[in-house]
Amino acid sequence: MSATIAVALVVVAAVVVELVLPGKAIYHAGWYNVALSALVVVVLLAGRRSSRRTADARLRFATVAMMTGTAIVGLSGVACGLFAPDDQTFVGAPGQRLRVASLGELAFPLASSEGAAAGAVTLERPLRGAVRIGESPYYAGNFVLRATPRDVVYVEARDLRGNRLTVTQPSGSVFLSPVLLMEHRQSIAGMDLPYDSFSVPAARRVVKAVMFTAAQAAMLLRGGAALGEPAVLFAVDDENERPVANAIALSAGGRAVRAGGLMLSGQVTTYPSVAVAATPNLIATAFGALLVLGGLTAAIVTSLSRRSTAPQRSHERS
Amino acid sequence: MSRYVYWAIAAAVLAIAFIVLEPFFASTTTHAGPQGLAGEAAPVFALRDDRGGAVSLDAYRGRIVVMNLWASWCPPCRAEMPDLQRLANAYADRGIAIVGVNEGESPQRARAFADSLQIRFPIWIDGTQRYGRTYAALGLPTTVILDANGVVLRGFDGPLTFAQMQAAVAPLVHKH
Repeated sequence: MSATIAVALVVVAAVVVELVLPGKAIYHAGWYNVALSALVVVVLLAGRRSSRRTADARLRFATVAMMTGTAIVGLSGVACGLFAPDDQTFVGAPGQRLRVASLGELAFPLASSEGAAAGAVTLERPLRGAVRIGESPYYAGNFVLRATPRDVVYVEARDLRGNRLTVTQPSGSVFLSPVLLMEHRQSIAGMDLPYDSFSVPAARRVVKAVMFTAAQAAMLLRGGAALGEPAVLFAVDDENERPVANAIALSAGGRAVRAGGLMLSGQVTTYPSVAVAATPNLIATAFGALLVLGGLTAAIVTSLSRRSTAPQRSHERS
Repeated sequence: MSRYVYWAIAAAVLAIAFIVLEPFFASTTTHAGPQGLAGEAAPVFALRDDRGGAVSLDAYRGRIVVMNLWASWCPPCRAEMPDLQRLANAYADRGIAIVGVNEGESPQRARAFADSLQIRFPIWIDGTQRYGRTYAALGLPTTVILDANGVVLRGFDGPLTFAQMQAAVAPLVHKH
């Protein structure tokens, strides 16, 4: 019986660890899930045998509760390990809404004044209202969500007279967004750098923007004026992606620079993305764990009461 | 313990199996343009019009609003504008307001464009393209129709003909 309890507790502990530390590759490894399933089978077989052996109805009930709880917890763990989708990071543009089936809709905030003080991403769940997704984990059914800040660039384009021009992202997630999500990477001078591109249709220009951290910008300029500030390198082509004259400029600290007949500025700022990792179902795991613990408590209480009554009975007999 | 109890437990475990497995087989999608916003409240941003006056959707509560997102560099927007003006003329006294929202350009450019086409319905300047983003515009022009409470009724990607505009608006006039 004690071995059965120990194995049941190992199963519960393993699945609780999956909930507390989600997103580890090991949970999806075949051997891990085979081992977890094997432990559940051991508990079921051993529990069945001990429940048949005992005549005490309370102890039998406790054993069945533990078996059921272990099966539920193990099932949650194995289902997550074998069938859950890969972990995903949802990178949304400001104002974008992404529908995540079985969870609801992620609403990405409009960056206030396009600066760093962007609001939080909210998860809008049917019948449950909106929940803010912060940097601490939020459990929703079979998934855990967590916001992680990432660097993005807010760009502005003007003509040489200072008139603002529309910025579009024909290949981006939101066509009319001036916030570049910088999801691509490129190597320049040995540095691995994020980049993105946008169009300025009124000027018939396509602009590539490469982001540098303050340290990278300083390295690029060999300790020049941009030291201490992140920077954005703009490379301007015409709408057919042919180079134009004076087409490259570096904008540091969000200052406007002239490139390819445009005045361009790029403000590096942070914006949340949402990492979604699959977890064992929280409610099923909690229910199963409670059954195991309830069964364990009942088994302990029953055996203690048996021990206390046993000497009494032997004394009565003598 | 009765065999039926074991069967009941097995059935319960199967039911829980369905509960824990089902969400893993659902798919993830994104809104496909402004059509996907139907039923949602339109955001209200404090903007300026092409003459510098403060404007907001709040002032249009109680009226059906046709919001047209446009830019001067967009040829289909230019082609669509006169029909929007016709619509504004035809439905002005029937509780329908037409608002043109310029995406990302200066007021001077927007006003010059509107004047060249003799547009008289309000032109708002959305310098940071917030409506374009929240309406998930796939391109320009984009047209969104809001009910009297500011809820999105329909969204259209691309230019509309006058007949299409009328077909979208006429049933709302009767309801309104």
